[in-house]
Amino acid sequence: MRVAVVRFPGSNCDLDAVAAMRSIAGLSPELVWHESDKLGRYDAVVLPGGFSFGDYLRAGSIAARSPAMSTIRRMADRGTPILGVCNGFQILVEAGLLPGALLRNSSLKFVCDWVNLRVDSPRTPFTLLAQEGQVLRMPIAHGEGRYYAADDEMRALERGRRIVFRYSDEYGKAVAGSNPTGASRNVAGISNEQGNVVGLMPHPERACDPLFSPSGSVDGRLIFASLLEGAT
Amino acid sequence: MNVVISNKEGARDPEGETILRDLVHRSGFGDVKAIRAGKSLRVEVEGADERAAEALVRKMCDELRIYNPAAHSLHVEAGRLTG
Amino acid sequence: MSLDVLQLGLTKGEIESVRQGLGREPNEVEWSIIDAEWSEHSSYKSSKALLRLFPTKGKRVVLGPGYDAGVVDVGNGYVVTLHIESHNHPSAVDPYGGASTGIGGVLRDILSMGTRPVALVDILRFGRIDKSAHARWLFRNVVRGIADYGNCVGVPTVAGDIEFDESFERNCLVDVACVGLGRKSDLILGEAKTPGDVLVLIGGSTGRDGIRGATFASKNLSNKAEEDRSSVQVPDPFMKKLLIDSLIEAVGTKLIRGMKDLGGGGLSTALSEIASNGGTGVDVDLGHVRCREGDMSPTEIMISESQERMLLVLSPGGAEPILSILRKYDVPYSAIGRVTGDGNLTLKWKGKVVARLPAQLVVKAPLIPWPSKKPSAQEPRARRPLPTPDVGRSIISLLASPNITSKRWVYRQYDHEVGVRTVIKPGQADAALLRLPNGSLLAVKGDGNSAHSSLDPYNGAAGCVAEACRNVVSVGAEPIALVDHLQFGDPSDPEVYWSFGESIRGMADYCAAVELPVVGGKVSFYNEDSSTKLAIKPSPIALVVGLVRDEKHLVSMGFESEGDSVIVIGETRAELGGSEYHRLLGSLDRGVVPRPSPYTDGVLYKAVVDLIRSGAAKAVHDCAKGGLAVALAEMAVAGGRGARIDLRKVPGSEGRPAGILFSESHGRFVLATGDPKGASRLLSERGIAHAPVGEVKGEALRLDAGSKPMTVLDVTALKRSYEGSIGRLMD
Repeated sequence: MRVAVVRFPGSNCDLDAVAAMRSIAGLSPELVWHESDKLGRYDAVVLPGGFSFGDYLRAGSIAARSPAMSTIRRMADRGTPILGVCNGFQILVEAGLLPGALLRNSSLKFVCDWVNLRVDSPRTPFTLLAQEGQVLRMPIAHGEGRYYAADDEMRALERGRRIVFRYSDEYGKAVAGSNPTGASRNVAGISNEQGNVVGLMPHPERACDPLFSPSGSVDGRLIFASLLEGAT
Repeated sequence: MNVVISNKEGARDPEGETILRDLVHRSGFGDVKAIRAGKSLRVEVEGADERAAEALVRKMCDELRIYNPAAHSLHVEAGRLTG
Repeated sequence: MSLDVLQLGLTKGEIESVRQGLGREPNEVEWSIIDAEWSEHSSYKSSKALLRLFPTKGKRVVLGPGYDAGVVDVGNGYVVTLHIESHNHPSAVDPYGGASTGIGGVLRDILSMGTRPVALVDILRFGRIDKSAHARWLFRNVVRGIADYGNCVGVPTVAGDIEFDESFERNCLVDVACVGLGRKSDLILGEAKTPGDVLVLIGGSTGRDGIRGATFASKNLSNKAEEDRSSVQVPDPFMKKLLIDSLIEAVGTKLIRGMKDLGGGGLSTALSEIASNGGTGVDVDLGHVRCREGDMSPTEIMISESQERMLLVLSPGGAEPILSILRKYDVPYSAIGRVTGDGNLTLKWKGKVVARLPAQLVVKAPLIPWPSKKPSAQEPRARRPLPTPDVGRSIISLLASPNITSKRWVYRQYDHEVGVRTVIKPGQADAALLRLPNGSLLAVKGDGNSAHSSLDPYNGAAGCVAEACRNVVSVGAEPIALVDHLQFGDPSDPEVYWSFGESIRGMADYCAAVELPVVGGKVSFYNEDSSTKLAIKPSPIALVVGLVRDEKHLVSMGFESEGDSVIVIGETRAELGGSEYHRLLGSLDRGVVPRPSPYTDGVLYKAVVDLIRSGAAKAVHDCAKGGLAVALAEMAVAGGRGARIDLRKVPGSEGRPAGILFSESHGRFVLATGDPKGASRLLSERGIAHAPVGEVKGEALRLDAGSKPMTVLDVTALKRSYEGSIGRLMD
């Protein structure tokens, strides 16, 4: 399955995403420059983490106007699985492919730490291998990751079962103490109406090798391997 | 009082430059010549006249290091309460 | 022409030396170039002679001091580059901008060797954050500056060392080190060897920021500093990221003939150094330099320290592929001149030659033989009786004290995972551990101890090296190279210069004895406040890297398994001089400073590494600030389990309980093991002093002196004290 990892000027986690997916048999990840005209030919797209355009103005705001995004919009309409990780999530939101906004963390500081995520929607192409309510462990690293949406938008997300991941404690309870950034209702990741576009703040590509996980978690593999599950 | 804190005149402003180059010019707004980014604070001061209020706000910004004179310039002007 | 107008930092002697060497009077542009390159920051004129004492050769050393970064062979064709920078003066005035541009600077040096920056280490010193709002302001903004820049460029900050002391109140120290990774065959030097080659200046535009930055760093901080407007520089991590990505791609073409970053002294230093290193000259038209402002003079262009600029040396035929990569990433560039064979730095402006200086003259600032004088207070102090401590309360206070307490408030702001190489992350163990592409692992740690160094510069400096070595050894790595950073007050003060000389001697002797080559380093003088005359405590820093062969036996730092035996390795002596315990008591000027054992430490380090490799070690932690007591408490907090320890069994000549607990003697480790007999056999075979002192047990740390109980501290109480202390002060 050919997966495009789109690199914008300033993307940092593109090589990490490629390396993580290479370790999963069946996935062929490739780095694609954002101005490339070959983007449309891939089976899935990952928008990686980083600081595209320095995060100037607002994180993801300048990348959202890149030519890549109109291609990605067309691919999204076709049902192609699109995953936005961290800065990728910010870009999808700024481009209007996902609702809401990602604001500065309430602590006003960048936070790099491992968190628990509860899977609330196993129906997306990136969560097919997970059970509903399963708790995954993955790291976050961001300064502008506090999800916010207006009340009616939030209600629509909940009704449509489009909140894919929520920060939780190790037992799966979405308590305030497990929310590192003050995100509304502990939202860590959401999907679009069709369910094929998913954005999340945590970094699955950093939880694919037990050597780098303090608890030995390889839950990131689940996110990427789910892509293959959906393809068959 | 409207307070705007931006990088000193003559110092680089990478944020403004990038917004101009990668967003504004790329999207066709060629008539825009320069952009400088800054942080804006709206400070409501009670009491006397505009000049006193401006002096107070400048003193506050200096003493509390709301801006760093080594790196930033400070612009203070009276604004309207609404709008 | 009156030289006063130029505000040069040169001494009368230096001015004469220039006139003699050149055979004529230089013009304004030429004076400014020499001023920038002959500043202390760029030329090392006060330190070069003494720096020659360092041992710099070793079987893994590819390039030692004298290049933009030290280069170490790590096997299979891979090399690691190391460099350390400081940005003390700018950070004291603009902590956010100073610290960020400090990161920018060290990244550039690593990048200019053709290697990819893969890790950052920050070593910081501030005043008393528990007392001073100014110190808190500096601390908060330096950390934010490092975080914003490092996170944006995607290089993880993986380790650090932070000290708080009154002497750093106005003169904070901001040291940043960078580790780079690349292939030996891709290394690029900062030299222009071939006449006819093209010089291309890439990256940010040249403006009036940072003018006289190098000379700013070479003067004491004065009250005027806050307005020293043009001396601060504006960071642009986005541009840096574009430089990193484009240059790493460009390095792969093998068409870059030479590369130099523009740091202190700007174009003056970069051009004169590539010409001098290459044995050639350069011919540059300053009109081709991309300037931010339209009315800059040739002098301003030459001494500007605008950030994010690199100088490339390309062959005329091989330039286009490189330029096309730069265009892809939107990195601006301009060709500014050519390499010549005449040995001169020739600058043209509006059709006329405005400067012509022999490159060798510019880079060879005459060395300054400052006088040195040992302060009378340095004579050995008599030991005074130690008050009987309330052991429990002292340990709890030490764990909460800023110099010892958890630094999580800091490292949580740094992305320490990007790049997915960080196996041991900040706070998890004594050193960071990074995975290299060939399967080996690289340990990194930087250390210093200004309290020790101010009382005894020789042993204090040797001690930094010892401490950094212990830290990498504790994660199973064999130390392979070191970069140092020496930070002192005004070198014209003979007592300051004496302590500088002693520090170098201490480090050099220690490194030679343990066979650890020094591959690079930096010196920063003038860290003192000219109004209060308060100089910083001498602050030598050692950054050590070590190699772990494979990931099979990775140890942790905590007491995890009930019943494990606890063994103390190394001898505890009556050495409480400069200890955190004395700091707690307010008697920081008393006592004998710990003295490392250079002639036996080499064997000790090898033994501990072998012990870890044998699989016999469950947890290893070294003893440093706060001594054995703090080391044991930290292991309890890390593993979540307590231990029962008999202090009478601790090896060494120190007999007093306070001494055993809080002495900061070097060469000691605490080991938790499930195989005490095996561990003991290995240590005895190597002649290493050690003794089992207790076992991992229960939920409290219980310390006894023989049959007499001294204190029992719940692990939860230890944790509460250790965690959150900085957050409580800062948030």
